[in-house]
Amino acid sequence: MSKPIMQSPLHAFGLAAQAKLVDASCGVWASETPLLGYISLRGNSADTAFVEATSRVLGAPLPTQPCTFVQSAKAKLLWIGPDEWMIVCARSALQALLRGLNEALTGIRHQIADNSGGYTQVYLQGKNARDLLSHTSVYDLAALQPGRVAGTTFGKSSVYMHRQGDGYCLLLRRSFADYIWRYLIRAAEPYGFGIARPERGEAQEDAA
Amino acid sequence: MSSHRVNIATARIDTTRPLSFTFDGRPYSGYAGDTLASALLAHGHRMLARSFKYGRPRGIVGAGAEEPNALVQVEAGALTIPNLKATQVELYQGLSGRRTTGWPSLEYDLKSLGGHFSRFMPAGFYYKTFQNRALWPRFEHIIRHAAGYGSAPVEPDPETYDHQHHHAEVLVVGGGAAGLLAALAAGRAGLDVILLDEQSELGGWLLSAPNSVIGGKSASAWLQDVAGELQSLSNVRIMTRTSAFALHDMNMIQAVEQLQDHLPPSERTKGQRRQRLHRIRASRVVLASGAIERPLVFGNNDLPGILTASAITTYLNRYAVAVGRRVLLLTSNDHAYQGACDLARSGASVVLADTRSVLNPAWERRARAAGVDVMAGYGIAEAHGGRAVKGAHLMRLDSDRNAVAGNGPFIDCDALGSSGGLSPTVHLYCHDGGRPQWDEKRLAFVASATGRAKAGIYVVGAAAGEFGLQKTLEQTRQTMTEALAASGKSSSLASFNLQTDEPDTIPARRIFRVPDGKLEGHGKKAFVDFQNDVAASDIHLAVRENYRSIEHIKRYTALGFGTDQGKLSNVNGFAIAAEALGKSIPEVGTTTYRPAYSPVTFGTLAGAHEGDTFEPRRFTAMQESHVRRGAEFEPVGQWLRPWYFPKSGEDLHAAVGRECLAARRGVGIMDASTLGKIDIRGKDVREFLNRVYANAWTQLAPGKCRYGLMLDENGMVTDDGVTACVTDNHFLMTTTTGGAARVMTWLEKWHQTEWPDLDVFMTSVTDHWATAAVVGPKSRQVLAKLCSDIDLSPGAFKFMDWREGTVAGVPARVFRISFSGELAFEVNIDASYGHHIWEALMQAGAEFDITPYGTETMHVLRAEKGFIIVGQDTDGSMTPFDLDMAWAVSMKKPFSFIGKRSFARSDTARSDRKQLVGLLTDDPKIVLKEGAQIIESDDIKSPMPMHGHVTSSYFSPELNRSIALAVVRDGISRRSDSGIKAGRDVLYAWAGGKAHKVKVVSPVFVDPEGARQNV
Repeated sequence: MSKPIMQSPLHAFGLAAQAKLVDASCGVWASETPLLGYISLRGNSADTAFVEATSRVLGAPLPTQPCTFVQSAKAKLLWIGPDEWMIVCARSALQALLRGLNEALTGIRHQIADNSGGYTQVYLQGKNARDLLSHTSVYDLAALQPGRVAGTTFGKSSVYMHRQGDGYCLLLRRSFADYIWRYLIRAAEPYGFGIARPERGEAQEDAA
Repeated sequence: MSSHRVNIATARIDTTRPLSFTFDGRPYSGYAGDTLASALLAHGHRMLARSFKYGRPRGIVGAGAEEPNALVQVEAGALTIPNLKATQVELYQGLSGRRTTGWPSLEYDLKSLGGHFSRFMPAGFYYKTFQNRALWPRFEHIIRHAAGYGSAPVEPDPETYDHQHHHAEVLVVGGGAAGLLAALAAGRAGLDVILLDEQSELGGWLLSAPNSVIGGKSASAWLQDVAGELQSLSNVRIMTRTSAFALHDMNMIQAVEQLQDHLPPSERTKGQRRQRLHRIRASRVVLASGAIERPLVFGNNDLPGILTASAITTYLNRYAVAVGRRVLLLTSNDHAYQGACDLARSGASVVLADTRSVLNPAWERRARAAGVDVMAGYGIAEAHGGRAVKGAHLMRLDSDRNAVAGNGPFIDCDALGSSGGLSPTVHLYCHDGGRPQWDEKRLAFVASATGRAKAGIYVVGAAAGEFGLQKTLEQTRQTMTEALAASGKSSSLASFNLQTDEPDTIPARRIFRVPDGKLEGHGKKAFVDFQNDVAASDIHLAVRENYRSIEHIKRYTALGFGTDQGKLSNVNGFAIAAEALGKSIPEVGTTTYRPAYSPVTFGTLAGAHEGDTFEPRRFTAMQESHVRRGAEFEPVGQWLRPWYFPKSGEDLHAAVGRECLAARRGVGIMDASTLGKIDIRGKDVREFLNRVYANAWTQLAPGKCRYGLMLDENGMVTDDGVTACVTDNHFLMTTTTGGAARVMTWLEKWHQTEWPDLDVFMTSVTDHWATAAVVGPKSRQVLAKLCSDIDLSPGAFKFMDWREGTVAGVPARVFRISFSGELAFEVNIDASYGHHIWEALMQAGAEFDITPYGTETMHVLRAEKGFIIVGQDTDGSMTPFDLDMAWAVSMKKPFSFIGKRSFARSDTARSDRKQLVGLLTDDPKIVLKEGAQIIESDDIKSPMPMHGHVTSSYFSPELNRSIALAVVRDGISRRSDSGIKAGRDVLYAWAGGKAHKVKVVSPVFVDPEGARQNV
């Protein structure tokens, strides 16, 4: 039996082999940050027990301001709805967080669902990154200030997006990844499109 | 060769950049800044078309989007564009254009024969004439040849298009004087502004009136200053060659930007779009879309060389083309005077006939000083000429009534222009329901304050009925002050010098059809709509034939149809119809303005939604494995699923036969990842499931699964699937592949709106889990090779159990459920390991000849077992009882469930509803067509009672014969195994023109005892 190997949703595009250092030759640079941990978390933010328990495990209180996110030392906490959050963490931290949340929330109304296989993250940068998103999404990008996260259209599909550094982070579902990536390449055509090396060293294609 | 190039220093052509081009195969030259129309006119080329119905010679009439005649085809092959208006085609080096009408040739047009008999081709000619259906195909062939315009390319489009979304505080449509001033006001106030203009450069009418004075400087200098300031403002985005063609609810404007069409194909930027669709959402929209001059309607007013007066002015001042050496102008108003003066100064001999008997003294003085021969109180009875205008016969008009008061002179001319006043471009204002109001003082339909109130939409300048430059600028300043105040900003334009040198205007004459002293229909044809050959007499005829609504008159006569959408003709048509009906213009009203303002290409509308990004294509984590094994795919919802896995030389039938037998006798493997999966948690989860499913969930123990039917309020089956109990307050639901999102929304809706008291949360985990179904008698042996921590023995791991464990080194949930009736294990793992698990199972199964199969085999296997597919065997009108699935309904649950009450409805409760049964054809080789109607007799008499239809039909390799599922009225009692009434089980299925004898049987064809899934 071969050793278990994980594949990211964009595996088929062979991005790692095409990745280059970002320079001025392209207006849009994209990279996948593959194989992170994703936890769908639901609960009542008016319940102090829920707030305290999650805050303790996650290293920061869950954001309750609509369409915002916070980055704790352990994870990125995205507001998805009034009672729904997406926790994004390193794969290596996933099991500990799942265990921690399950233990801390025992007896408290909540839902934890490991969604790590179901999502991936794409990072966009370059001088035309925002232009590119204006072709794919109806959202008013001027309103997407740092610290805000928006669920919006991407062609006929959808993504969650937020600003990160000089670029944009897109969270997308595995089954739509092929469509979104192709749409992204097509939309970037007038600006020049390059595949960048992943921003953070999360690539774990060989990790068990 | 009467139209020609003249020297106009302020013209917008660049004489240092000559360009050569061809038209109808002949070489021509022009300059950068020319349109195809201006360049052709500069060569005296005036006859460009034959008319639609009568084949009459036609030339250029307008200078922009209003042009009805000069439709041309540009370039050839894949890049060809049909039916462009020559007035909107920017000239480039090497452009190749040709006419689109004239058959067999422009010089000799077959239809012009008909023109001589035009009184036999009245309005409604086609409706009236071609009632003989047998002869129509022959007529059609000739008519299509003769009446057509340009040709669409037959090659695939090599160019690309996209869409872009924008958000602005102020969107200004139109870059003329009003639009520029509006954008400047908003821009200086610091608002985010987008300014759109459809032309290649800003300026609008100012480009045609460069010598007007604004604020002490020439219009061209003013334009340069204002455009320069706008360009310097970082909060103002200017988009030229961008035509706003639609205004939608909530201030959403759609505009198309021409990015490449003005460049020679060899100079177009590779990778750049040909056109771009902009969708702009703006807090405030300022419509500065200007006005279009309408011509006067008189006899033979369609001869080549007859244009609108404003077009003549534009060709002179913007393109340095004089349309003639002896020019006759006819006007009802002051607006034609400036052009007349400019034309006379350029060297032409100009006669200006004003229909008014009292003239504006200031304009009369200026015109005479420029050398214009001004005649007061005259109209044109008819123009003369063949392929070009040669003169016109004038008539003296009554000073009050639009009637002939006496004869007038014949004026020789080689060009003729007319002005019947300006019609505001109110199209966008009307697109989301606004109706323009007739203003008798301005003689125009204007966007009125009494029209539907629209928050955030402002109309300025000529579009608002302010036709003079002075009034336009003042009204724009006033309106923008109000618009900015609404945004909490103040205008900086108060001190802006907007003084012009324009004389005060005097009222125009209210005239549309110029009288010729004859009854309508007896004089020369006076055209209202050039593109559709609608004459004033046609409108009168329609009214005589009792058409009363302008919408009907439009459709009967074709007034305002075509690519110009009646920009020149509509208002004249409404006015002439009003006169014929004896009504006022407001009583007649307007037809409806709908998007698009001017034609938009399909490519632009499609944008990136074509090719591999036409629709989302969803793939599972095993996709690469399937491709490598040669799968054919079929769409299931947005998913692409393996359909079958042909080996070399196999067709669908052969592959499916092999795959089915492998699953029944050995081991098969199927990718079931696409099924919807919903994680449901909370202490009330059992109660929640009790309410959303027809069956009961109170007793299901952890480690167990159950099949459930989901119903709508009418008791009809809408989804089905297996739900597993993880813990007492934690379940995992599966849905159909196509129903996943709908079911998720359905559950949330019921929870949020009806049962918020239930402690339950739902999250979609469809994409998280990848699922490999290992199916067949040898499936246990395959799994055993990869899984050591689950006891797979029949006693420990029973049918409808699930277990958590490790498969191929990966944490997995294994479900012993079956959609084939065979022993089967569905292995669920984190989709990141989807590829790994598939390959591990294939490797482990190699010694058992494990066979991957797709949806087709899945369908055959399930049909052999009588398992339904929701949406195929059900259609929203099937209850669980109709499906003979009473076992999946629990009527004893303490709280009701969705759909339960509807079972008591008389129609739902009756016994003779259409019910699911199996069908066996007499001839085992015949596979019935799905959809075949069920009838009681093979003695076909139409109509005859139809008792149902075939829902699923396959050849069963296991049984070596065909099988079918069908819904049949009172079908369950007809089944041969019901033993009720002999003979009732024989029916016929009508398919392919033949009635096939069938026997009604149980829908379970294979293993009716269900033994095989329990081994």
